[in-house]
Amino acid sequence: MTDWSEVWLVVPVYNEGQVIEDVVRHARQTFPNIVCVDDGSRDDSAAGIKAGGAHLVQHPVNLGQGAAIQTGIEYARKQPGAEYFVTFDADGQHRVEDVLSMLERLRSEPLDIIVGTRFHGDTAHIPWIKRVVLKTVVMLSRRTRKLGLTDAHNGLRVFNRAVAEQINITLNGMGHASEIVEMIDHHKWRVAEEPVTILYTEYSMAKGQSLINGVNILFDTMLKSKAH
Amino acid sequence: MLIQYILVVFSFAVLLLFLRKRGTTKSAASVKLAFMLFVVFGIYAVLRPGDVTVVAGWLGVGRGTDLLLYALVVVFTFTTLNAYLRFKELELRYARLARAIALRQAEPPVSAGQGPAGAERS
Repeated sequence: MTDWSEVWLVVPVYNEGQVIEDVVRHARQTFPNIVCVDDGSRDDSAAGIKAGGAHLVQHPVNLGQGAAIQTGIEYARKQPGAEYFVTFDADGQHRVEDVLSMLERLRSEPLDIIVGTRFHGDTAHIPWIKRVVLKTVVMLSRRTRKLGLTDAHNGLRVFNRAVAEQINITLNGMGHASEIVEMIDHHKWRVAEEPVTILYTEYSMAKGQSLINGVNILFDTMLKSKAH
Repeated sequence: MLIQYILVVFSFAVLLLFLRKRGTTKSAASVKLAFMLFVVFGIYAVLRPGDVTVVAGWLGVGRGTDLLLYALVVVFTFTTLNAYLRFKELELRYARLARAIALRQAEPPVSAGQGPAGAERS
């Protein structure tokens, strides 16, 4: 099983010009199919994506990460032979090895979607403030607890075609992670978690989500469930 | 009182503007009716403020002015929430429009090593 041509990596990109080419190039050594959604970047991200050898889909304006992921999935699911889909971060904090073990599991076990989790074994590599924020988000979400998820805001996810066809992210911003959890529950997708390692580089730390953003996510999620 | 003239003239002006600008088939008839009732009530309240105080008394509110203030707060909250939801919906439509454009102009890699990647380009 060394042929990964039925796998599509979906990478939302926003102002990642510094690293995106290397991230794409590195991932391409394993996965031939990568679609990068340039979410209206103001830097040279698009050039990096092309140079790295990925498919480039460009939002004419900045919409947010949730919207970019949805665009990427819609592009990937139209491609012939696409069976497995991976959401992968552009800043190089995800490891290809983790994706491989998640894919093996998705193929061999009766699952629809596998979500990465940072909370396993020794969590000392996760900055403590992040740990507190992420744990709080999980604690506050009844659904996440019900599904037995420990890290709903992990950007690394692997899922099959059935999920890709049904997925419909409507929260354009950072609230999409909670929305995906909601969809897992609603569509009764069979879900499992896979321990992954996040590479907290200086670059990804500087770009990562702040505490303030956590408040935004909570607010968006709360209002959304009211609006239904 | 002078203020009564000012408010009544203003009310009529608003009504005229509303009926002119949005009197097309677009805005719902119920909205138009509700708005006209609202203006009529407004004019009545301006001309006979005492009556509003009487109504306020029935409801256990001290003065008519207070009743109007409370009503205003409720209406304002409702309008704000409504605007927020409308805005969110609009944002979603906007995202879908941008997505459609983005997907149309997608660029597969030029030096695609694998066959199928470049083949599906329309």
